[in-house]
Amino acid sequence: MRPVVEIEGVVRRFGSVTAVDGVSLAIAEGAFFALLGASGSGKTTLLRMLAGFEMPDAGRILLDGADITRTPPNRRPVNLMFQSYALFPHMTVAQNVAYGLEMERRPRAEIRARVAEMLETVQLLPLAGRRPDQLSGGQRQRVALARALVKRPRVLLLDEPLGALDAKLRGQMQLELKRLQHEVGITFIVVTHDQDEALVMADRIAILRAGRLEQVGTPREVYESPATRYAADFIGQMNFLPGHALPGGLRLPDGGLVRVAGEGPVQGEAVAAVRPERIRLGPGENTLTGTVRALAYHGLDLQLQVETPAAAEPVTLRLTAGEAETAPGIGERVTLGWAARDTRIFPA
Amino acid sequence: MRDRGSAFLMAPALAWLAGLMVVPCALVLALAFFRRGLYGGIDWTFTLENLALVFDPLYGGILLNSARIAGLVALIAAVAGYAAAFAIVSRPRHWQPVLLFLAVLPFWSNYLIRTYAWIVLLNREGLIVQAARWLGRDGALPQMLYTEGAVIAGLVYAYLPFVILACYAPLSRLPRDLAEASRDLGGSGFTTFRRITLPLTLPGLAVGAVFVFVLSVGNFVTPALLGGGQFQMVGTLVYAQFLTAGDWPFGAALAMVLMAVMMLLLVAQTWVAERGTGGRRDA
Repeated sequence: MRPVVEIEGVVRRFGSVTAVDGVSLAIAEGAFFALLGASGSGKTTLLRMLAGFEMPDAGRILLDGADITRTPPNRRPVNLMFQSYALFPHMTVAQNVAYGLEMERRPRAEIRARVAEMLETVQLLPLAGRRPDQLSGGQRQRVALARALVKRPRVLLLDEPLGALDAKLRGQMQLELKRLQHEVGITFIVVTHDQDEALVMADRIAILRAGRLEQVGTPREVYESPATRYAADFIGQMNFLPGHALPGGLRLPDGGLVRVAGEGPVQGEAVAAVRPERIRLGPGENTLTGTVRALAYHGLDLQLQVETPAAAEPVTLRLTAGEAETAPGIGERVTLGWAARDTRIFPA
Repeated sequence: MRDRGSAFLMAPALAWLAGLMVVPCALVLALAFFRRGLYGGIDWTFTLENLALVFDPLYGGILLNSARIAGLVALIAAVAGYAAAFAIVSRPRHWQPVLLFLAVLPFWSNYLIRTYAWIVLLNREGLIVQAARWLGRDGALPQMLYTEGAVIAGLVYAYLPFVILACYAPLSRLPRDLAEASRDLGGSGFTTFRRITLPLTLPGLAVGAVFVFVLSVGNFVTPALLGGGQFQMVGTLVYAQFLTAGDWPFGAALAMVLMAVMMLLLVAQTWVAERGTGGRRDA
């Protein structure tokens, strides 16, 4: 099946800064696609080019196979949910939601019915007569969503959709957005700097760095098999052990060997990477010994920082609630072990 | 606690306004209810004749004509000023203060000098006539100075910066993404202006237009200098009653009606602005 959105070699420069530097992506129909990156990675510029507010300096953007690179925003069957929500302050909730349909010159009765139906979906029907300044942050976010979705766009673009909400509400809305996307069956492209958000909501993630694609894959792929050191560092927590690469592993500065399964450099400066939750107390295929320097209790797990002679940075591991009962205290000597298949190696 | 604090902070300004403006004004306006004495004096018997005279067809006509001219001035200044403010806001951020400064620059020179400059421009041997003569077309030019057109042009010129300033503030504060949201939802550039930008900046435009109207309707310098001796507006009429005709009671009555009209307008404008801001506190 043809992808709904195709981005081909898109470049966008602002003066001497290249915000987006030759990005090519294909986004499948019905996907929940996340553009993930730190600030300045070009993710918002890319989104604004999809919406039509920025013109690429090079490359093309196709929607259902048709070139929309130069189509103005009001002629694209694509809607954007702004990070600020950009609700019209002089209009009620219902008027805000109706605006896009009025622009399409739909009959009055149809507009009324679709607005009511949409407000019902986002559970805002009782607030239809309120002004935006009479709503909470979460309610505004849902109005913004309803206003964009009511037009039944081919693709809905969301710019940091949960950025303005507090942590607890954000967690709820992540699942809510996912449920809604499933319900309406519209392709969502969401920009976020929050890797947790991307992992929870998206079914595909593109990691951007300095205007270039670092990795594209499912949440599981980018978490379990990061393609680059940057991706490994950006998504989740990661321990990095610098050393010298050799076939099958990495030689640590203290002479120890870290065994690595899978591809990677076989010579030169390199880093071995292992997730904190993959490390257990006690020896394994890879073993380090060290001293516990800090403990941090997070409710679900207990994080241990262990200082080892093998690396300048302390190694972090996470013990689950059960293991935490018998956790060592600060200053105790511990042995850490993990499997070779849980270890990746990247050029330094 | 807070109320007492703010009352304390407001006291000097309040005392200043009450003692040095409200009281003297009230004293002069009170004259409207007394008879005119011989030789410019006051005959202290109560009467409503002066107020009735204001609405006499002769003087009422001047009042209406002043309102018409001030209305025209306000309309022209509103359109031109809003357009200018809109243009300034669409320039890059670092240029905006410079452009705004240039727009307000005439304010820093004396009002009389600026009005005299218009005489230099418009008179029979003025710059425009000379330029036309140089082009060989001076026969086509009508009388320019001492016309209603000259008064309107002079007033628009004098008060245009008010509208630019009053419109610049709300236009520059208007979040750019509101217009973008309208475009995104399918609105054309014009529809976006009509349904989003204009309604949200209308209070500023109203402030500017009402100010221009109020300042124009009572103005006496510009009608006197650019309108010539034959041209009467309420301002020149009040001026004449106090300084040449010596009829202080009638002058006070005219001023009182003028002030009442201005107050009404300002109250109406404030009320509209208050209602308009209801929905734009922190969106």
